[in-house]
Amino acid sequence: MNRPPDAGRIFRMLTRLLPEAFRRRHAEEMAALVEHRLSTSPGAWARARVRASAWMDVVRTAVGLHANRRMVGAATRAPWTTLRTQGGDVDGWTRDLGHAARRLVATPFFTLAGVTIVALGIGANATVFSVVDGLLFRPLPYTEPEALVSIYQDSDDGEPALSSFPAYRDMAGVEGLFDGVAAVSPTQVSLETDDGVVSLYAAYATASYFPVLGLTPARGRWFGAGHDVAGGPPAAVVSHRFWRESMGADPDAIGGILRLNGQSATVVGVAPEALDARGAVLTPDVWLSISATVVGGGFQVANLERRQDHWYDVKARLAPGVTVARAQAAMDGLAERLAADFPDLNRGRGITVFSLTDVRVHPQAQSPLVGGSVVLAGIAALVLLLACSNFGNLLLVRGLARSPELAVRRAMGASGGAVARLLLLESLLVSLVAGAVGIGLAVLGTGLLARIPLPTEAQGLLGSPVDSRVVAFSLGLSLLTGLVFGLAPALRAARADLADVLREQSRGSSSGRGVVLVRGALVVVQVAVSIVLVAGTGLLARSLGALAGLDPGFAVDRTAYVRTSLSQGGVPPEEYRVVLDELLAAAGALPGVSAAAAASRLPMQDGSSTTTLVEGYEPRSGTGAVELPLAAVSPGHPETLGLAVLEGRAFGPDDIVGGEGVVMVDEVAARRFWPNGGAVGGRVRRQADPDAWLRVVGVVSSVPVEELGEAPRPMLYFPASQYTPSTVYLVVRTGGDPASVVSALREIVPGVRGGLPVLGAGTLSGHLGDGLAAGRLGVRVLGAFSLLALLLASLGIYAVVSFGVARRTSELGIRAALGASRERLTRMVVREASVTVLVGVVVGMALTLLAAPALSGVLFGVAPRDPVVLAGTVAVMVGVAQVAAGVPARRAARVDPVVAFRVE
Amino acid sequence: MSDDLPADLLPLRPSVLHILLALSQGPLHGLGIADDAESASSGAVRLGPGTLYRALGELSDAGWVLPHDPPEGADPRRKYYRISPDGQALLAAELRRMEALVREGRSREALPERA
Repeated sequence: MNRPPDAGRIFRMLTRLLPEAFRRRHAEEMAALVEHRLSTSPGAWARARVRASAWMDVVRTAVGLHANRRMVGAATRAPWTTLRTQGGDVDGWTRDLGHAARRLVATPFFTLAGVTIVALGIGANATVFSVVDGLLFRPLPYTEPEALVSIYQDSDDGEPALSSFPAYRDMAGVEGLFDGVAAVSPTQVSLETDDGVVSLYAAYATASYFPVLGLTPARGRWFGAGHDVAGGPPAAVVSHRFWRESMGADPDAIGGILRLNGQSATVVGVAPEALDARGAVLTPDVWLSISATVVGGGFQVANLERRQDHWYDVKARLAPGVTVARAQAAMDGLAERLAADFPDLNRGRGITVFSLTDVRVHPQAQSPLVGGSVVLAGIAALVLLLACSNFGNLLLVRGLARSPELAVRRAMGASGGAVARLLLLESLLVSLVAGAVGIGLAVLGTGLLARIPLPTEAQGLLGSPVDSRVVAFSLGLSLLTGLVFGLAPALRAARADLADVLREQSRGSSSGRGVVLVRGALVVVQVAVSIVLVAGTGLLARSLGALAGLDPGFAVDRTAYVRTSLSQGGVPPEEYRVVLDELLAAAGALPGVSAAAAASRLPMQDGSSTTTLVEGYEPRSGTGAVELPLAAVSPGHPETLGLAVLEGRAFGPDDIVGGEGVVMVDEVAARRFWPNGGAVGGRVRRQADPDAWLRVVGVVSSVPVEELGEAPRPMLYFPASQYTPSTVYLVVRTGGDPASVVSALREIVPGVRGGLPVLGAGTLSGHLGDGLAAGRLGVRVLGAFSLLALLLASLGIYAVVSFGVARRTSELGIRAALGASRERLTRMVVREASVTVLVGVVVGMALTLLAAPALSGVLFGVAPRDPVVLAGTVAVMVGVAQVAAGVPARRAARVDPVVAFRVE
Repeated sequence: MSDDLPADLLPLRPSVLHILLALSQGPLHGLGIADDAESASSGAVRLGPGTLYRALGELSDAGWVLPHDPPEGADPRRKYYRISPDGQALLAAELRRMEALVREGRSREALPERA
C-alpha cells in the first residue's frame, strides 16, 4: 500500500464522543497511533481488527471519561465482577456490557426471539416515521422556512387554490409586506432525446422563485429579470437529479439546449442537490422561465395575462417583523380591490395566506395527510406495543429462570444495583441490536413504499428515505423499549430476597402471584390488539371484495387505451381537430379493432369540471349554478366504452365548430335536473360563456366519474369536435384480447405526427385494477400488521400456558397418578389460559366496536360493525389461541408421575 | 512500598503498568510507549488509543508522569513524557508486589521453572 493508511471517518466521528478538552489534547496523536498500527498490520483482516478495536477503545474511553471514573486507582471490585475481567482496562459498566453480551450469546434462542420481536416493532415504526416525517416534519430545504408563506386565490368553489398570473403581479406589487414574491406553475412537458420522447415534470417559475426560497443553483445561475417576460430568451434550470441521471453530470451541460414540446430552451443552471430529497412532485425535473412559456403553447403564454385562469402557486418571504396575520389583512384588501376592478371574475374570491410550516403541500392535502399519518402511526404503535409486551414477557420468564443464579450473585456480595445493572444491560443490548435490525427493515420498507404506484400528483410522496432523523428516532425508541421493559425485571431482581428465592424454589413454584397477573395482562393486551387489527383487515377486505364485484358500468374486458398530449407534441391549437381525426382513423384501422373513440378522460379518473347553469333547475345552494365534471368525447365514445344511449342520440359528424352547441348528459344528471323527463331538448350553459346555451341531444348510462363505489354523480359530455382537448385518450374496442393491441396503439401516436408523446397506455381492465390499488394496498398493509399481531399474540399465549404447565408439573403428576385422564389434564391447563384469552377478546371487541365507525369513510358495501367480520375475527382469534395453548397443554397431559415427583 | 503512596493504588491496571514500564527506559511519545508495551509483552498488550492517552492524562494529573521537551528535529506535534520520581516509586512498588507473589508461587511449587 503506497498511500499512508488513514484512521478513517468512523474513528474520527467516534472521537467526537470524547470530552472536548481531551479530544483537543489527544485526538491527533490517537489517530496517528491507529495509522501507525494500520501501516504495520499485514492484510485486510488484520487492519479491520485494528480499526474495530480502536473504535471500541475510543467508545470505552469516552464512556469512562464522561462517567468520571478514574482508571489509575486500584482495580479492586466486588469479587464476582472481577472474576472475569481478563485483565483488561475496563470499568464497571463496560465490564458488565461484555458480560451481558456473552450471556446473550450463550442463550441464542432468547436473544434471537427478543431481537426478532423488537426489530419487527421498531422496523414498522421507523418505516412509518420516515414517511410521516417526510410528509409533515422534515425541515424544508429552504433558508429560514419559517418566514415563507403560500398565497392562494380561492377557486370557484371558494377553496384556497392556485392564483392567476396577473393576481401574482398584484400580490408582488403590495408594498412593505414581502421580501420577495414568486410564482410557480407545475406542468408536464415532452423532452426530445436520441431515444425518443420522454415526459418530464416541469414548472414555470419567475426569476424571484429561487431568491425567495433562499436557494442558490449548484452550478450556473438562476433566471434573471430578462427571463421574466414573454418574448425573452427561453431558459431552463435542471434538477440536480436530472443533471446527474440524464445529462451524465456533464459540467458543460450549462449552455446546452433542451428540446421541449418542439421548442428550445437554454440550460442556464443546475438546482441544488438538497431539493432532490423531496420527490418528483415537489421537485420538478426542470424549471422553465416565464419567457419559456412558449414551450407550453400559445395558451400558456396568453395565460400570463388572463385573470380567469388560475395556474400559479404563489410563494412569498415575509419582510422582517411582518406576521402572517398582517399579510393576510393586506391580502384581504387586495381581494376586495380585485373584486371591485374585475367583478365578473373576482367577486367573492378571497385570498388566503398560509405559513409554509403549517401547510407544506396544499391546504386541501394537509388534513388528509395529517389524518392518514395519525392512523398509520397509530397502527405502528400498536404493533410496537405488541412486540414490547412479548419482549417484556420474555424478560420476565428469563428473570424467573435466573432467580437462583442472581440470588447467588447477591450472596457473593454483588449489590442489588449491580445485579439490576447487569439485567438492564442485557435488555438494552437486545433492544439496541433490534433497533439496528429495525433500521435495516425500515430501509427495506421505505424502498417498498417508494415503489407503490401512486397517481402522478402524489408520486414520490411516500418515497422519503431513511435519514439521520429516522436513525435517531429508531435508536431512541429501542433505547426506550429496552429501558421500560428491562427496568421492571431488573428492579425485581435487585429487590429479590435471597431467602425468598430459596424458599420459592423449595416449594417448587418459582412465580409470585404478581408475575402471573402481569403476564396475564400482557396476553390480554396482545389478544385485544390482534382483534382490532384482524377486524380492520376483515372490513377492508370485504369492502374491497364488494368493490371488485361491482359492475363498473362500462366495457372493461375488450377495451384498450393510449394517452397523448397534442399541446406537448407541439401541435398548434388550430390543428388539434385534424390531428385528432387522424389519430382516430389510424386507431380504428388497427387489425382487431371494432370501434375507436377519443375522450379527454376515462371513467374513474380525476378530471376537469365546469360551473354550469341548467335551464329550469335551481340548485339548493342558491348560487344558480352547479359544478359538473365534464369530458370531451368523439362520436364513437358510447359504443366503444359500452355505454347505453338511453334517450336521444350520441354525437355525430354534424356537431362541428360553428354549428349548434350541443352536449350529452348522463343518466344521473337527467334524473336530477329534469326529474319529470325531457332531458333531451333541455339547455345548459357554462357560467364562463354567458351567451352560449347548449342543447342536450342525448342521455347515456352513468359510469363512476372519479372512483369506483362513489355516490352517483351527474356528468356532462361535450363533443370533442367543438371542444378539442389538448390531452386525449384514444380508446379502442377489440374483438380479442385488448392487451395485444396496446403496443400497436402506442406506435400509431408518433406515427401520425412525429413528436407526439405517449403519456400512458394499457387496457381498461388494468385501469379498473389501478382504481382498486389503494384498497388492495390498505388490505395488504393492515393484513401484514394483523398477521404480525396474531403471531405475537400466539407466542404470548404459548408462553403463558407452557409456563403454567412448568409451574404445575408436580401437581399435574399427582393428578395423573391419582387417575386423571389426559383429556382432563389438558382441559385443566387450557382453561386457565382460556380465561385470559376471553378477557382479551372482550376488550378487543369493545375497542373494535368503538373504533370501527372511523373506518366508515373508506368502506364500501359493508357496515363498520359487520357481524360476519366480527364473528370471523373472534373465530380466528379463538382458533389461533387453541393452537398456541394446545401444544404445551398436550405436553402437560403426558407428564409422567414419576418425573413430576422428581422435580421437587 | 514507599510511605507516601496510598496502599489502595495497587494493583495497577495493566495499561498503567506498561506505560510506567516503558517510560522507565527514558522519555517517549505516546506512539513509542504503545510500541514498547507491545514488544515488551511479545504482542499481548496492545494499548488502544483512548486507553493510552486517557491513562497518560491521568498519570500526568497525578504527577507520576511529566511532560518532556521533544528532542531536536522531532515532530513538534508529538508530546513527549518522562516518568517522575513518584512514578518510579509506584512502578517499583507494583513490581515488588508482583515479585513477592511470584516468589510465593514458586515456594509453593505453583510455578514450575520453564524447561
